[in-house]
Amino acid sequence: MSILDDIHISRRTLLKSGAALGATSLMYPAMSAFAKSESPIKIGLIDPQTGTYAGTGGNEILGAQFAVDEINRKGGVMSRPIQLLIEDSAASVGQSVQKAHKLVNRNKVHFLMGAVSSAVALALAQAAEQMNTLYMDTGGHADAVTGTQCRWNTFRTCSTTWLLTAGDFQTIFDKYGKNWYFITPDYAFGHSLHTDYVAQLKKAGGKELGNALAPLGTTDFSSYLIKAKSANPDALLVLTSGNDQINTLKQATQFGLNKDMGIGGPMMEMEVLEGLPDAARYGYWNMEWYWNQPNTPHVMDFVDRYKKAHNNKVPTARSWFGYASVYALALATEQAKSLDTMKVVKALEGLELPPEIALQPHKTFYRASDHQLIGSEFPGQVKTGGVYPDLFEVADIVDASKIARSAEQKGCSISYPS
Amino acid sequence: MSASPVDKTASAGQDSAPAAPPARRIPALLPAIVIWLLLLSVPFWLPLLGGYTELGTRVLIFGLVAMGLNLLLGFTGGLSFGHAAYFGLGAYGTGLMLKFVTHSTPLAILVGVIVGGLAATVFGPLTVRRRGIYFAMITIAIGQMFYFVSVRWNSLTGGEDGLTGFSRTDVDLGGWILHLQHPMVFYYFTLFFFAIGCAVVWSVLHSPLGHTFIAIRENQKRLRFLGLPIGVYIWIAFAISGFIAALAGSLYALLNNFASPEDLNWVLSGVFVIICVLGGMRTFWGPLMGAVIYVVAQDYLSSITVNWMSFIGAIFILAVLFFPWGLLGFFQGRFQK
Repeated sequence: MSILDDIHISRRTLLKSGAALGATSLMYPAMSAFAKSESPIKIGLIDPQTGTYAGTGGNEILGAQFAVDEINRKGGVMSRPIQLLIEDSAASVGQSVQKAHKLVNRNKVHFLMGAVSSAVALALAQAAEQMNTLYMDTGGHADAVTGTQCRWNTFRTCSTTWLLTAGDFQTIFDKYGKNWYFITPDYAFGHSLHTDYVAQLKKAGGKELGNALAPLGTTDFSSYLIKAKSANPDALLVLTSGNDQINTLKQATQFGLNKDMGIGGPMMEMEVLEGLPDAARYGYWNMEWYWNQPNTPHVMDFVDRYKKAHNNKVPTARSWFGYASVYALALATEQAKSLDTMKVVKALEGLELPPEIALQPHKTFYRASDHQLIGSEFPGQVKTGGVYPDLFEVADIVDASKIARSAEQKGCSISYPS
Repeated sequence: MSASPVDKTASAGQDSAPAAPPARRIPALLPAIVIWLLLLSVPFWLPLLGGYTELGTRVLIFGLVAMGLNLLLGFTGGLSFGHAAYFGLGAYGTGLMLKFVTHSTPLAILVGVIVGGLAATVFGPLTVRRRGIYFAMITIAIGQMFYFVSVRWNSLTGGEDGLTGFSRTDVDLGGWILHLQHPMVFYYFTLFFFAIGCAVVWSVLHSPLGHTFIAIRENQKRLRFLGLPIGVYIWIAFAISGFIAALAGSLYALLNNFASPEDLNWVLSGVFVIICVLGGMRTFWGPLMGAVIYVVAQDYLSSITVNWMSFIGAIFILAVLFFPWGLLGFFQGRFQK
């Protein structure tokens, strides 16, 4: 029960901090660092604060707010403060689209960012394009966002599902074996991960034994796990994320599946590891950013600053998505010297994040051809018996530009409005 | 439009002295005129109150579907928890037409309305054989059936990701072009269809058919003794409300340029019922009033707190406790006493 209690507490703190953040943003005009005449640059942030992605979404918000506070302390962008307007998406597509319309039409935000669910990211990208607004996808991973459905107004900070799967495919294949079974969340993100893994599996001569599609927000995975057990694969690939991933892994452990087969997947997150009991922490996974990089400059400094501001909690990949996305928007705006959507888009194309923001060893930049951030992947192994925050062993920091597919291979050609 | 069916039902419901004619201090047409003037001028005063035009459009759409539902719920006495299905079918019908078949918005609306309305007409007979809680259960079951079809049929509907890739197009009225992408133009476009929906509901309520509906609600057994085919009448009410829900859904898809499986979910059906009850189930304008409260509260509260649903719940409980006839029913009762 203690785990459930933990989740409860962390969620509550999250709500409190959310309320505190909301209050700070309301008080902005009162802050004296800027002349009264300077109207703020508004960023609308749509992220899940409730539902299965509340934990991951909450950290994106914390990271974004952390960046906004830093930028404002340093004098803002074009001598104007940044204001963050946060809306709850509940990982619901309909609600997110509604919030996007509200942020642009009522609050007159200059930029939109956010999303944990890929479905939300795809819908927001379209809604933002229709409103001629720049959208920065912080955490929706499906290839299509910067692939077949790429748009001139849309950029993405987190990896593609291809990068996630390519990051650790070979490790899982070598360590566990060639017969794979998948548990896949039944929406854009899951379908995309599954397609990408299967493509690599076929090429390597492996075999897919089955694929169980679970709706987003499933709490009982037993029927899928029973199917997986009877298929008797070498490896069980868990493609779920957020609370769904916590539930999958807890129940897989109860079923003893980890004794019969190797368990791993494309994406592991600190939020998930924190929510898991020690017995359910195992396997080979991929991280998109990890706080413990002793050899990368600026990282320790960032982690210390962040911990000080957040009750000794280390930044997660999600915090970094929020942090880097806000900085990218700020840098591009400063460079464009304008809030015009097209000018900022042009400034973001090819923008390289400076090392104190990139916080990873390889070159980190928004590729102009498809608007995808190309950085690093952190494949490795979950530490069994690890103590927070030391829960993951990074095996290698992979340069994403070495494994990324080109815009043409992804089916993206951006057409700009005339 | 007058509120006369309301007067009858209010007096019937409250069991007041049947002989005395209802005293009218306010002319019957006045509320309708005020409401229409307010609706016509929304784009001019709503921004001054901190709103935005699309909020007004959303109120109209939810008001429209609730009015349609109210024909069944408030006037015929059938509690449906499945109307989101017809709303969502309207949305998907319109979205799919615009995405794959045509660039004509009116044609897409027409198809959406027919798809949703026909579904209600076809599945209506299954529900009308039962009353009360069983009626509600069957409507939920049928609604969820459509919901799961939309979630599972990935190749057509986009599954849980929702349907993207279409947008409302300009309408050419013989040389005069309606630029629907403009929020204000789309508001009046929606208002036009809202007016059609109102006209349909109003004329039904003022016809013998509407009186039969009310009679069914008041005393079903007596009507059965009189030899009326009650099931057929409830079916007709179900079908009409289904067509109106589909029209609203079709407009909703155009508003967001997007349709999602949540548009068919029973949760949304529950929202429609809440809107009817909040505003006043037995009044003509009650559902619109309920839509104003629900949509505006949701819009404002959800920016302030993630627990906005608790506030909606509290409002609902207070309304049921203190205004069992809904807000509008309460105020009308006041005026008529």
